Amino acid sequence: MTIRNVRDHGQRYRPRMSCLKKMEAVVLEMQDPKTGVKSQTQRLVITTIPHAITGEDIVEWIANRFKIDAAEARAMGTMMVAFGYIYPLQDHKRLILKPDTSLYRFQTPYFWPAQQWPVEDTDYAIYLAKRNIRKKGLLELHEQEQYNNLHKWMNHKWDFIVMQAKEQYRAGKERKKPDRVVFDCQERAYWVVHRPPPGTISGMDCGLERMVDPNQEEKKTSEYFRRIIIFTQQCIMRPRVKSSVSIGALVKYTTTYKQHDPFLYPCLPSNPWLTDDVTYWHLNMPNVENPTKMRVERWTFSFGELLSDPRGRADFRLFLKKEFSGENLAFWEACEDLKWGAAATMQEKAQQIYKTFLARGAPRWINIDGKTMEITVKGLSHPHRYVLDAAQTHIYMLMKKDSYGRYLKSPVFKETQKKAVAPEAHKFSEAQLEQNAKKRRPSLSPIILRQQEEEQKAKLAASGPVDITQLCRYTAPVPHLAVYTGICENQTTASPGLMTLPNSAACPSPISVAIDSTPASERRFDSGPTSSHFPSIAESTEASVSEESQPPAAKSRVALSLSRLLRRGCNAPSVFASLSPKCAVTAGGGKVQPLGEPLAQPQPKRIANFFQIKVDIPPECRIYPIDSEDEEEESPGAARGGVKEIICPWETVTKHDGAG
Amino acid sequence: MNRWRRSVGEIQARRRQVSECEQAQSALSKVTACYQQMATCLGSNTDGSSLREELEETRALAHRICTGMHRRLLALLAETEQVQEDREQVERMWVLFLCALENFQQDLRKVSILQETFPLGQRKDRRALVNTGATGGGSEVAGRAATVQTPWVTTEGEKKPDLKSHVLEIDGLLQEMLQRVNVPLWSVEPTQNAWGEGCGDAQDEDDTLEEIMEVEVVSQDNRASGCCNHSNCKLGCIFCLLN
Repeated sequence: MTIRNVRDHGQRYRPRMSCLKKMEAVVLEMQDPKTGVKSQTQRLVITTIPHAITGEDIVEWIANRFKIDAAEARAMGTMMVAFGYIYPLQDHKRLILKPDTSLYRFQTPYFWPAQQWPVEDTDYAIYLAKRNIRKKGLLELHEQEQYNNLHKWMNHKWDFIVMQAKEQYRAGKERKKPDRVVFDCQERAYWVVHRPPPGTISGMDCGLERMVDPNQEEKKTSEYFRRIIIFTQQCIMRPRVKSSVSIGALVKYTTTYKQHDPFLYPCLPSNPWLTDDVTYWHLNMPNVENPTKMRVERWTFSFGELLSDPRGRADFRLFLKKEFSGENLAFWEACEDLKWGAAATMQEKAQQIYKTFLARGAPRWINIDGKTMEITVKGLSHPHRYVLDAAQTHIYMLMKKDSYGRYLKSPVFKETQKKAVAPEAHKFSEAQLEQNAKKRRPSLSPIILRQQEEEQKAKLAASGPVDITQLCRYTAPVPHLAVYTGICENQTTASPGLMTLPNSAACPSPISVAIDSTPASERRFDSGPTSSHFPSIAESTEASVSEESQPPAAKSRVALSLSRLLRRGCNAPSVFASLSPKCAVTAGGGKVQPLGEPLAQPQPKRIANFFQIKVDIPPECRIYPIDSEDEEEESPGAARGGVKEIICPWETVTKHDGAG
Repeated sequence: MNRWRRSVGEIQARRRQVSECEQAQSALSKVTACYQQMATCLGSNTDGSSLREELEETRALAHRICTGMHRRLLALLAETEQVQEDREQVERMWVLFLCALENFQQDLRKVSILQETFPLGQRKDRRALVNTGATGGGSEVAGRAATVQTPWVTTEGEKKPDLKSHVLEIDGLLQEMLQRVNVPLWSVEPTQNAWGEGCGDAQDEDDTLEEIMEVEVVSQDNRASGCCNHSNCKLGCIFCLLN
């Protein structure tokens, strides 16, 4: 008894393959003694067998019958062979029609592919056992594997299988020799079609099983009509577009993309499905160093194309890094991750995104308008997959309208274009094609590909795209930054604490953020030398901080506005002027320290990890916020080794009210 | 304990029944194999009314074996006091019988559809038969099937159902069997090892299909390179007797 899997959700019906019925009709026509295909006798050593037909006769017959040219007739003939209605007598594993004198024969209807009964594994097991009896254990490799598998899965009926195989073998021997040969050929051909050996392309790929029998006519009950009515109503309600517009769009699409379509134009160097040569796939791997010219051309078609190609996205990321506006792309990617990721981590991810990109004082703050921000933040109190859609769309549009255009004119892109490869077309001879077909191998398993992807991501995270060039003593100072003291020494693992938001002029009020874990005593902000430089700053900051200081329990982290910085009379304006407005810049006063640092805190690793913003900065390079001193005195700017974390507003309702 | 209580006669009777069932199992196997071999001729140029008659006869025979076996196995399994080794054997037979029934039912379905697709009523139907290259019908095979004996007396005269109802009958039979007897299918251990059938009895010098077909290729290529000009000569000179 066959143990049937009951968890198939009722999907037991094979998809309709309507071509089978049509093909059967054609095959029957071919049998006609007067108008059918000419048949010959196959001469073997031991006997002769009638009803052999040559490939060229088949092609000719089909071409005449359907009034088509030879190439199409050949294709149709190949289909008949691939489905198993005709089988080759020589080279039985290659199910193609050769338009020469190679011989074929018709398959008996018992072995025709049919919709009603799927090919059973039991039968295959019996066949393999029979072959084993005949060849005394010398089966082919794939047959041996199948045999072992089936023996494992059908262990309970193995006795039956062996018994049946023996009986079938003996029954077969009763027949006359020529008939035996014919039957053996037929059976072998049947199994080549339905259990193809590696390297054979069979035509029996038919997709998933269906829940409803597609071969059965649906009864027209009231349910059926109700469904039709609803469907038609929905059709009417759909928004319509003028045909001139839609056709125009189609024409535009086809003209743009036609050279990239492998059906219309030849792929360079060659289409692997046709020539079995996989150079094309190797050249177009997701993370290839130098992409092909065609691929680069695709990136210019639209922003969507650029983003959807991993190599293109990487190039764009590089460009944005140079422009210090990488946070937009990072945010967009983070939103994609949220949308498509696992539900279990959604809550965390949403929080991380908020903390890193959206909150005031966030390390990689993105610039979206107030209304969108409001909606998003409100939605984040009950996060779901699409909560960041509005913000993501906004940023996408921003990138598309702004950065994309500049990218296409940028040196990064021009460089990539220059280095792009334009492979030559292959010209394979017939013999070489056969050789290629023999060397066909399955591609990498998707598990391995996924692992490689993960490794790539981790590498990217480790090498970390930073929004601002790291200006520690290990890198050269950026010339346009007016002030650079480069004092990086004797800073311990103090974290940067505050970031000033140059764009927050609209709402300068400080965020009051509670530091949850580290007690005040541990929060030291080692900023010895800094205080000596800017005592004025310290004082004024102190003053300003104390205005808004919160109850001791709530350690506030003051976000300094541009105005406040100006008040302090530091070189801030020049600093800000020279830096890109999109950057979350620290109020570096005279000291512009690298910004990437907040993300490299040892303590709250979880904050920025999944954005891959972790930056490997030597501990000496720090960002020193202006009011580091007051942090030390007042409170707690950052823990030693810790940082003032941004807590999402819905978490700390009580402490949030004073923040204005 | 119960074993000692049963009389020798009982035990012997039981053993006889079990061996009867075993024989019936192999008989069923034989019959269904022959049935399948004949079914492959349906729709081909060797199809004919005689073939179909033979198919019917074989089917009737199989039906008789099936019903008899079904009854006996049920009886055997229904006995509550079982000897252990007996039970295993009977359970194995039960499972194998189920498999055989299922397999046979599949063949029956195919035959039923093929017979409908290739009706032989009119003359023009013969032209539509597929030229498969076979020359003989399945009569030899039918002969083999006919030699099969049911191990019990065939006085149980049940009428053989026609093809379609036979299929449905087996359906019902299978359902009933699965529900009535609680034998977990996977608990049956086979007696045969994997690959066991290959290295078995001395096979006669049977050419494999590949050998037969291979020779054909060679002979096609160098038809003229026989030692003599005789059309059937494919051998080297030394062995040629056709001169």
